[in-house]
Amino acid sequence: MTARRLLTLAVLAVLLGAAGTAVWRSVGPRPETAHSIAEQLLCPTCQGESVAQSQSPMAAAMRDTIDQQLAAGRTPEQVRRFFLDRYGPGVLAEPSYHGLGLLLWLLPGLAVALVVGLVLRRRRRRSGDSLAEAPTEAPSARGRPARAWDAVAVAVIALVAAVAVASPHRGPDTQPAPAADRDTSLQALAQSLEDQGRYAEAAEVYRDVVTLRPDDRTRLKLAFALLRADRAREAATTAQQALHDSPGSTDALLILGLAQRASGSPAATATLRRFLKAAPKDPAAAEVRRLLGAT
Amino acid sequence: MSRGRILTALLAAAAVVALGVTLASGVGQASGDPAPTAAGPLTQARTGAAPALTGTTLTGAPFDPAALRGKVVLVNVWASWCDPCRQELPVLAAAQRRWSDRGLKVVGIDIRDNAESARAVLADLGVRDLPSIADPQGTTAVAWGARGVPESFVVDRSGQVRWWAHGAVDAAWLEQRVGPLLSS
Repeated sequence: MTARRLLTLAVLAVLLGAAGTAVWRSVGPRPETAHSIAEQLLCPTCQGESVAQSQSPMAAAMRDTIDQQLAAGRTPEQVRRFFLDRYGPGVLAEPSYHGLGLLLWLLPGLAVALVVGLVLRRRRRRSGDSLAEAPTEAPSARGRPARAWDAVAVAVIALVAAVAVASPHRGPDTQPAPAADRDTSLQALAQSLEDQGRYAEAAEVYRDVVTLRPDDRTRLKLAFALLRADRAREAATTAQQALHDSPGSTDALLILGLAQRASGSPAATATLRRFLKAAPKDPAAAEVRRLLGAT
Repeated sequence: MSRGRILTALLAAAAVVALGVTLASGVGQASGDPAPTAAGPLTQARTGAAPALTGTTLTGAPFDPAALRGKVVLVNVWASWCDPCRQELPVLAAAQRRWSDRGLKVVGIDIRDNAESARAVLADLGVRDLPSIADPQGTTAVAWGARGVPESFVVDRSGQVRWWAHGAVDAAWLEQRVGPLLSS
C-alpha cells in the first residue's frame, strides 16, 4: 500500500512538473518580435488565422506595417493600439483584460478551482464516513467507481502532458523568410496575368520572384510563360537552369524540349524523347508523342 | 446527501451558464469578414478623421494631398490582380467625371502590385484619369484600416470618414452615399 501511494505521489509530481513546464513554455515571457505581434493579431479577411499565419495580401501588408512601425521606434503596445484603433477589438487574437474579456480569462481558473473544491469536499466526507465504519479500508462497493474515475482523470492528464511535451518546440521565434510575403502576392499577380493571356508581363513578374528567391518551380513557371510569350530561346535557357538544379524534373525536361523545338534547336527531339522515357504516363506524353511522330 | 446533490446540480447549472456566456461572447463578435451580399457591398457608416494620403502615384509623381482639401473624397483600395476591382474601376471613373464639378475626387490605393500591371489595367479599362497611389507593401491601405480589395472609403468635405464599403460599389451605391455629401 505504501509503495503504491509512493508511486501515485511520484506520478502526480511528474505530471505537475510536466504541466508546469508546458504552461511556462506557452505563456513564459519572451521578447516581443514582429512575428510575435503578428501572432497576436487576427487576419481580418480570413477565418481564425493570425496575421503571422495568413498568406493573404492584406495579412502580408499588416506584417509589413508591423515591421515599419517597429523600425520607426514604436513599442509593441503602440503597434497593437494602432491596429486596435483601425480594425476594432476583433483584430486581437486574445480577449482584452476588461469587462467580458476579463471573465473569459478568469473562467478556466474558476472552473479548475471549483472542481478541485468539489473533489476535496467529497474526499473529506468519504474519509469521515469510512472512519466511522472501518478505519482501515474504504467501502469497496463505492470505492470502485470512484477509482475508475480517478484512473480516467489521470489518463486525461497524462495525455495532455504527453501532448505538451511532444508538441514541436517553438524556440525563440525564428523569423520566416521575409521574402515569402512579397513572393505570394507577386505569384498571384503573375498567375492572374497568365490567366488573362498576358504572358510577357507574367514572365517579367516571375523573373522578379526568381531574383528575389531562386526556386525551380517558379523558374519553370517563368520558362513556361516565356514559351507562351513566343520567347522560346529565353525559355530554353531558363528551363536548362532549372534542369541543371533538379535533374530529375520531368516538367523541366518537357518545357526545355518544347522551348528547343519552338526555337528550332536540333536538340529538341532528343530532349523530348528523354522526357517520354522518364515520364511515359505524363498527361502531356500523348501530345509529345504526336509532335515527335510529326517531325 | 440531498443537500450535496442540490449543490452539485447548482454548480453544474452554473458551469453550463458560464459555458453559454463564453460561447455567446465569441459568437457576438463577428469573426473574420462577412461575405458581401449579392445586394451590394458590405457597407458601414464610419466616423473619425481620415488618415493621411501621401506617397507616389502610379505615374511616378508625388501625390499632392492638398488638392483634396474641401472635396468629397472616395478612396478606393484596389489591385490589378483583383477581378472585382477591374469591374469597379470604370464605375468610379464615371462618377469622378460626372461629379468632379460638384467637388468629388476619386483616389485609388493600388496595393501589393506591380506598377506596370496596374497602369496596364487602367489603360485597358480606359480610366487612366483615375489617380492612384502606389502602395507596394500595402501599408497605406492598412493605415486606413482596409481589410481587402476592393474596398472604398468616403470622406466628407471636412476630412471625416463617413462610409466604408467592402466589395465593389455600383452607381446606385454612389448615388445613395456620395450624392448627399456633395450637396452639403
